[in-house]
Amino acid sequence: MSRFILTFMAAISISVASIQCVQAENLIKNADIAYGEYLAGECVTCHRSGAANDGIPNISGMDADSFVYILQSYRSKELENKVMQLVASRLDDEQIASLAVYFASLSSK
Amino acid sequence: MSNFSRRQFATGLAFGTAILAAPSLAFGARPRVVVVGGGAGGATAARYIAKDSKGAVDVTLVEASKRYYTCFYSNLYLGGFRNYASIGHNYYGLAVNNGVNVVHEWATSVDNGAKVLKLGSGGSIAYDKLVLSPGISLKYDSVPNYSPEVQSRMPHAWTSGTQVQLLRNQVINMKKGGTFVMVPPPNPYRCPPGPYERVSMIAHLFKKSNPTAKIIILDPKPKFSKMGLFTAGWEKHYPGMIEWIAPDTHGGLKSINAQTMEFETDLDTFKADAACVVPGQRAGTIAQSAGVTDGDWAPIIPATMASKADPNIYVLGDASVASSMPKSGFSANSQAKVAANAIRGELTGSRVFEPRFANTCWSLIATNDGVKVGANYKAGAEKIDVVDKFISQGGESADVRKATYEESEGWYKGITTDMFS
Repeated sequence: MSRFILTFMAAISISVASIQCVQAENLIKNADIAYGEYLAGECVTCHRSGAANDGIPNISGMDADSFVYILQSYRSKELENKVMQLVASRLDDEQIASLAVYFASLSSK
Repeated sequence: MSNFSRRQFATGLAFGTAILAAPSLAFGARPRVVVVGGGAGGATAARYIAKDSKGAVDVTLVEASKRYYTCFYSNLYLGGFRNYASIGHNYYGLAVNNGVNVVHEWATSVDNGAKVLKLGSGGSIAYDKLVLSPGISLKYDSVPNYSPEVQSRMPHAWTSGTQVQLLRNQVINMKKGGTFVMVPPPNPYRCPPGPYERVSMIAHLFKKSNPTAKIIILDPKPKFSKMGLFTAGWEKHYPGMIEWIAPDTHGGLKSINAQTMEFETDLDTFKADAACVVPGQRAGTIAQSAGVTDGDWAPIIPATMASKADPNIYVLGDASVASSMPKSGFSANSQAKVAANAIRGELTGSRVFEPRFANTCWSLIATNDGVKVGANYKAGAEKIDVVDKFISQGGESADVRKATYEESEGWYKGITTDMFS
């Protein structure tokens, strides 16, 4: 398993305890799922449903709070990966929440 | 700009024009989109318009090949990291899962006034919106004496398929201690790092089975994509094997002789035992005949990818002037989603969101030594502007390089799923 995926898994577990969950909840309440589906076009060039984590993780069906926390962590460069840092760099909190709600609505299969 | 206007780009206006632009709507028929070219731009556009309109738009894809071999990753096949079948894809998913009418024919010309696409069989297809994603045509005469007649002696292998298989065979069977000559194309061309990844893959084969072989690169350009990363990688993995010669050193390619396998320059005449010659490029022929090109390529309006010459035609991918984006499969896939969103909005009144573009190009230098360059973009008034970018750093750890390679494997599966599923 690559370091990238280990970091990714670690981020998911940390997120549960994070105070940022409160902020995420409010964002998610106001999220625009249709906008999220459009924005997801940029994600699904690489991330595909049903995949094992083969170099790029499957994000379909991911819990929305974890999704928000991970994207915010890439944006602040606390998580490493140049592509993901670039993607996150131009997503504001509302856009991240819209993406989170869209991906959470998908089956992981 | 308010969030509403940022998200909802132009719906009200678009719906107004849709009624005027698509008279078929007035009679209750579905608006018709015809897409030419089933690669990263065209397959993605066809799939997204069909999928997202949920049947409200009649989508036809015109693609001559029944099986599509990706140009991206064909270098990894060349280097032995992939088998040939693994880079082949068909159009089952588009036809069966997405309801796209897949027509395996050549598109030959466009009647812009009547909005009709003509086919090689003599048939024709009417459209409300036409998407052209034909990729490239080769300008054989950009290399003196190069032609389709001699391409089997010196494969270009730049549109995937048989040429890449032939090139691999010639590399594997090259005489021991022989010389391979690579002639990269002049700018602009499909896949900027491609010629240099190709050299890396050929060197990888030589290192295993022909370690005294040499590779000479006669470049028409003074610098190239990921130059520092490639040259450092060549020194590390293939010391003494690869010689890159800049144009101010060789003075330009004066002629080639496919029979004697000689490359004449001001500096010297280089005798090859095997070679790859990639000539200059232009937009695929249908873009020329549709009248949407200005010179070699088709100018577009950045916000929608619509042609500047015909508002009912959109041009995606390599054929378009999408600077600052490179000509890559990733770029074409990204542009297709912007165009699909704009076209669907115009034809059905669906929400149109602000255009967003992205690209990443991964290259493999040696086993588990992957590098990448990427950027995201926004639509400017005249061109597609870079927002931010990154490139792999020299001296990265082996773990980072391996993870980059693994990421490219994931991307290949991702983008081909996004195009064809």
